Amino acid sequence: MALNHRRSCYRQDHHETVGENKEKRPKFFINDHADILIEILKRLDGRSLCIAASVCRLWCNIARSDSIWENLCFRHVSPPPSVRSVVLALGGYKRLYMGCVRPVRRRLGRARRASWARDEVQLSLSLFCVDYYERFGGSNSNGRLVGESSPSSLMFLCKPVNV
Amino acid sequence: MKRDHREISGATDYSSGSGSRVDSSSLANSIKGKLWEDDQDAGGMDELLAVLGYKVRSSDMANVAQKLEMLEMVMGTAQEDGISHLSSDTVHRNPSDLSGWVQSMLTELNGPPTPNLDPVLTTSDSNSSNPQQNQSQPRVFSDDSEYDLRAIPGVAAYPPPKSDSDPESTRKRVKTSMSSSGYGPDSSFSSPQENGIPGAVTESSTRPIVLVDSQEAGVRLVHTLMACAEAVQQDNLKLADALVKHIGLLAASQTGAMRKVATYFAEALARRIYRIFPQDSLDPSYTDILQMHFYETCPYLKFAHFTANQAILEAFATANRVHVIDFGLKQGMQWPALMQALALRPGGPPAFRLTGIGPPQPDNTDALQQVGWKLAQLAETIGIEFEFRGFVANSLADLEPEMLDIRPPEVEVVAVNSVFELHRLLARPGGIEKVVSSIKAMKPRILTVVEQEANHNGPDFLDRFTEALHYYSSLFDSLEGSGVAPPSQDLAMSELYLGRQICNVVACEGMERVERHEPLSEWMSRMETEGFSPVHLGSNAYKQASMLLALFAGGDGYRVEEKNGCLMLGWHTRPLITTSAWRLATAETGAKS
Repeated sequence: MALNHRRSCYRQDHHETVGENKEKRPKFFINDHADILIEILKRLDGRSLCIAASVCRLWCNIARSDSIWENLCFRHVSPPPSVRSVVLALGGYKRLYMGCVRPVRRRLGRARRASWARDEVQLSLSLFCVDYYERFGGSNSNGRLVGESSPSSLMFLCKPVNV
Repeated sequence: MKRDHREISGATDYSSGSGSRVDSSSLANSIKGKLWEDDQDAGGMDELLAVLGYKVRSSDMANVAQKLEMLEMVMGTAQEDGISHLSSDTVHRNPSDLSGWVQSMLTELNGPPTPNLDPVLTTSDSNSSNPQQNQSQPRVFSDDSEYDLRAIPGVAAYPPPKSDSDPESTRKRVKTSMSSSGYGPDSSFSSPQENGIPGAVTESSTRPIVLVDSQEAGVRLVHTLMACAEAVQQDNLKLADALVKHIGLLAASQTGAMRKVATYFAEALARRIYRIFPQDSLDPSYTDILQMHFYETCPYLKFAHFTANQAILEAFATANRVHVIDFGLKQGMQWPALMQALALRPGGPPAFRLTGIGPPQPDNTDALQQVGWKLAQLAETIGIEFEFRGFVANSLADLEPEMLDIRPPEVEVVAVNSVFELHRLLARPGGIEKVVSSIKAMKPRILTVVEQEANHNGPDFLDRFTEALHYYSSLFDSLEGSGVAPPSQDLAMSELYLGRQICNVVACEGMERVERHEPLSEWMSRMETEGFSPVHLGSNAYKQASMLLALFAGGDGYRVEEKNGCLMLGWHTRPLITTSAWRLATAETGAKS
């Protein structure tokens, strides 16, 4: 995607220098069509999306918006209704993807079955909620809990798996 | 030929009989080193050593070196046994015949200390003195002790297939079909009746002796633990005291899970012997912290929460108002996931009411209320109507159902949840019956019970001890395999959490012994006599559980099993905790929506 973008920029310049005398043909510049761009970026996988975010400012802004990550989370599964408000309240889709969906999908890679996609999402959502509870659960009951690194029950997802 | 001064001094020191570790190993090294030099003279004796007065055949050198290493190690661990008898009533062959001398030393040292302690060591005696008697078939001996050493993980388990066994030992039974793959963290358990004790710790003649010795120490450790427990049971406190000290030494020679388990059990035994009983958790918030770390390091609690939540969710299928009564609220970690699932329920979330029960706090802070507050904030975030009430009670038996403001079942559906709480009631006579009748009065749609899958409530101390040793060995083993780096605080706290349980099981009695775990079969018969019928946890719960386990490092070791509709989580083949669900047998069959 990025390559095409740069290529089209180059082609543009080229055309402008060469085709000065020719009649100006309508050019297609993807950045002029944000809606198409969004549709394209929506279908990328996580890694490509992160790469796309470093192409230019427009792409960066689009890639950062949460709605794109929503597609990533619920790619193969139709989302349960009303999930959006819950996820947004708990921290947003990007956080859900990076924190839960991606590690869950990666870890279960070998053991996955297609029919479990919905359960994977359920599990990710549950873990996401537990994580929120730990992060923002308000003041702790005694000083001993605070001060050390706050417990995160998603830490086990960050640790490497010896499979 | 260069003489290394170090070699000479090493040899000299050894000849004076100090036998200190450094010297004899340097001697061993020097012996090995000499193999590379062509020092043989006509008689086949090593020339360098001959100068010092030792006659060792060059061909024999490697063997002698290995035996010296073993001797050094055995002398190190045998100190407690007292080796003074060696100086008085043993006959040694001429020390200048080094290999013969070493063999006779080994024979003596591994000879008969108290037979009920170390029968295992006599095997190496037979190995070193009668190499010709290497038998390829392990012998089977009758054994009246009941412990199953295969249960002990780590180094102590599964010495390699025995090549010979001591004919005089009458205390071991050796399984013929022992696999040699047992070195790793394999703690496959069988019932204690199956006495496959790999007692004959021997090696084939090619195996390095060093390895055998640490195995020996592991097996000795287990034996000593058992012997100590037996002594305690027989009230032979002097012997028990001596053994407990010995355990400490042996435990130091182990690594990993075995060492930690042995240390905790030794401490618990010591407490029992000296009657220094651990104070019953004065500070419940401390226990909560430990449990939080345990929650994070391994999947047992998460498994419990997720499976119980799934059962509750299914029972709440179309209800508009739901009420959960949690017998042990702690930090409320179970409920965010349930609340999230309720929020995303097709048809919208119900009104969620939570009643949390907890022990009194020593500094009078209202821990329950704080947890309730956190949950309320979460509920507001995700858009659920939420209500919370906390009850402080010393024991669940003190609870009266009228206090809980149970609303009629048409208005509100009730679920009762107990994670590792019910077994405590068995300490008090009549406790469990009172609580079960309270539960019945609450008219729950579902009762979820999570309990440890172990029998730590038998009348016989030695049986309990054995069971507990197996159980906690498995647990510690799974912690080791969890991929958490050892110096992590989480791991240490989790182990401490389990260590306190061990202490309670072994050292306490009567009302103080609250860790009265019972296996699923006991709970099932108890619940059924009290008028509950089991609810099968469905395939959704099984799926969630399996996926959850696959996420954990070391996930290969964890196993989910289904038994009688209940789900069990275990490490390798040993089930460790069980989730079961119940409903009132006479309940509203028509009202099940």
